[in-house]
Amino acid sequence: MTEATKIASQASSSDPRVGLRAVAALRRLVEQLETLQVTNARNLGWSWQEIAQELNVSKQAVHKKHADRRFLPGR
Amino acid sequence: MFERFTERARGAVVLAQEEARDLHHHHIDTEHLLLGLLRDRTSVGYEALDRLGVHLDDIRSEVVRVVGGGPSPILDEEDAEALRVIGIDIDEVRRRIEETFGEGALERISFLRRRRRRRKGCAPSASHVPFTPRAKKVLELALREAEALRHDYIGTEHILLGLVREREGLAAGMLAERDVSDTRVRTVVSELLSGN
Repeated sequence: MTEATKIASQASSSDPRVGLRAVAALRRLVEQLETLQVTNARNLGWSWQEIAQELNVSKQAVHKKHADRRFLPGR
Repeated sequence: MFERFTERARGAVVLAQEEARDLHHHHIDTEHLLLGLLRDRTSVGYEALDRLGVHLDDIRSEVVRVVGGGPSPILDEEDAEALRVIGIDIDEVRRRIEETFGEGALERISFLRRRRRRRKGCAPSASHVPFTPRAKKVLELALREAEALRHDYIGTEHILLGLVREREGLAAGMLAERDVSDTRVRTVVSELLSGN
């Protein structure tokens, strides 16, 4: 176990440092998940409109963020 | 050295640097130059490799297999621990994502995203990635190839010829394994340059 992990496991959820770290990690995870899911939806032929609706954002927002992504072949 | 390089040839070298950095390698070697050529689909070098049956995904996975590398995880141990404290088991999240999207799905996406940001013109990190002696030799051979062909520029096709002629590097080995000899490269390149 690294020193950092040891410190983290001793900390409780009331420690702001741990809580904030979790928030930052979640944010990155959400970004990754969004990319993965949007890519998958596009590869399955979903329109930007349909994707935007599920994400609860405007079509323009989702298009601007993801339109120039290179979609994974075969997925 | 780069004065006579065409814009695409310079681009290939920049892409080689990106490949090295994305793979967490500390030098630009011959395999990164090959990947750089394969990254620009508008180049003669790319077109020649395509005709010879050499493809980006195949070469990149071989490089990763032989040299190692690959993107680092998006979440480290400390992140995982912080998430566990608030009740999220990231290993389980990862397991389910990989069940659906395949092993390394999260990392693979982050790899694509980093490249996308660079293409959009954000400055890549300022750290300089040096060439290995073999990669330098490839560029010197490219120059000689251009001279031998009486071309007054150095293009991606000359870099490709340099890669096959270098013989000792990983790129030369991978090309030889795929039956890409310098004779075949020369034939394909001259076809392409004469517009066939």
